[in-house]
Amino acid sequence: MRLIECKGLSKSYGSKQALRQVDLNLEAGEPIALVGPNGAGKTTLFSLLCGYITPTDGEVSILGHTPGDSALLGRVSSLPQDATLDPNFDILTQLVLFATLQGFSKSDAKSEGLRVLSLVDLADCASQKPKSLSHGMAKRVAIAQSLIGSPELVLLDEPTAGLDPANAKKIRELVRTLSSKTTFIISSHNLDELEKLCGQVLYLEQGQLTQSVSMNDNLQNQYITLTMQQCDADKVVDAVMALPDINSIEKKQHNEFLIKHNSEEDYAIESALFALFKHNNWQYKAILKGRTLEDKLFS
Amino acid sequence: MENSQHSNNLRNTLLLAQFEVKKMLFNPRGMIALAAFALVWLLILLYPIRGASEFLITPHYKDLIEGIFGPDVVSELFKWSVAELAIYWIAALYLFPMFSIFIAADQFSSDKSRGTFRFLTLRTSRESIFFGRFLGHMTIQTILVSLTVLATIALAVSRETALLMPAITSGILVIVNLVIVILPYTALMAILSLYANSARQATIYAILIWAAMSITIAVINNFLPIISELKWILPGSQISLMINTQGLGSFAYAPVALLQTIVLLLLGRIYIKRSAL
Repeated sequence: MRLIECKGLSKSYGSKQALRQVDLNLEAGEPIALVGPNGAGKTTLFSLLCGYITPTDGEVSILGHTPGDSALLGRVSSLPQDATLDPNFDILTQLVLFATLQGFSKSDAKSEGLRVLSLVDLADCASQKPKSLSHGMAKRVAIAQSLIGSPELVLLDEPTAGLDPANAKKIRELVRTLSSKTTFIISSHNLDELEKLCGQVLYLEQGQLTQSVSMNDNLQNQYITLTMQQCDADKVVDAVMALPDINSIEKKQHNEFLIKHNSEEDYAIESALFALFKHNNWQYKAILKGRTLEDKLFS
Repeated sequence: MENSQHSNNLRNTLLLAQFEVKKMLFNPRGMIALAAFALVWLLILLYPIRGASEFLITPHYKDLIEGIFGPDVVSELFKWSVAELAIYWIAALYLFPMFSIFIAADQFSSDKSRGTFRFLTLRTSRESIFFGRFLGHMTIQTILVSLTVLATIALAVSRETALLMPAITSGILVIVNLVIVILPYTALMAILSLYANSARQATIYAILIWAAMSITIAVINNFLPIISELKWILPGSQISLMINTQGLGSFAYAPVALLQTIVLLLLGRIYIKRSAL
């Protein structure tokens, strides 16, 4: 069964069209990234998928049901942007309520609540009230909330925004570990993060789905992204162009170059590059097979 | 499958109702509200109710009151076996609907503006949230009504121990009647609370609605007396008539409130299913 199917999905708020005619077919599996500038409609798309709002036009189906259908309760969950817990109750009490609503018994609900809290490293905050948490901690609690009952689909709206680097890394690792059972859809502005985590990237712009990029496509083989330490860019460009099987070399950002080649032989270009560096005593920082996500989306 | 969904819905409705009662009774803010409520009622019990019931049992005052209001308007008031409950009845008929507008104003509004609903709707149906909250708020108000009736009974018994049995029977009737009276208020507040962004806003909407509807109904009554029965759509329209009833007789007005509640709850159910959270 298809995980998500959208046909001509549109949503308007008054005269402003937040989503226009989005067609989308997604299968369960590796995490899926949703990228786009502010106001592109990412959160609107998430809200539609969660059934918080209804589309103005078009259809959505998740696992064969309309969002909000009772058949999806407990199977789809999300980290909604800007949603906060009830300030009157401690965290664990609320997580226990969520779990019991999903069908857990009282005692199972408590251990499930503690389990998800320990997944985000916050088990010792269980008895605290939401107000006493920092922004980042509250976000991690909200992520924990989305994992109750191991749902089939979890939508994470900017899960690592506002988190310190160590905890952001932990969340990424958590998503990776759980992605064998759960399909994650992650919206984020951190392209490096998505590149490491996701198998597929959807690019949303002005309410329209403009690109869908797979991280594992074959085209990757013809590209090498090279990042140098201090270097004379023109010299590097000339020297690389002089190597065999090179189609083009383009200077991207500071000390970063994108090389396109047509070599059939494995590692031929890489070996030639290393030989070149050694000969000129140049220091390189990174060699990436393929293109960066940033380059794929914005070039 | 269909059946298990229904039982799930019912189970979750009760769970949410329980949680709502817990929120009101076991957290500091709820307890402060409760203490304020208890103090207000203590004053009402000690002064008007105790004072007035003393007048009510002296025949001299009966003549005086009948002389002022007319014999048919308050005649039932003197048929109460427990005078304290008679005065309580008048006070409660007006006060509890008013309390209801305040107490039940936050059934949904702050959860909606905080986004807390977004956590709930992924786990339970919107219907169960709506009815769970409504049930929770009715339970809280039933507890409050019962406590004040108990206090009134205690007051009556402290005057005359023989009043215990009649006080208990008419006390139970009073509780049931008052709960029926506040049902449509709580249901209307549920809808307003879904629409508003805060409890205060919901209360303001409630006041606006009652004022606007009362004026409209009065105007209609004046110009088109044929459809004067329209007044029955406004919650509380039966209250002024209920003053002069007692015991089982008060149930004559129950269908009005019950019908209003059913209509309001059905409207609320449609509204919560369609609203954006």
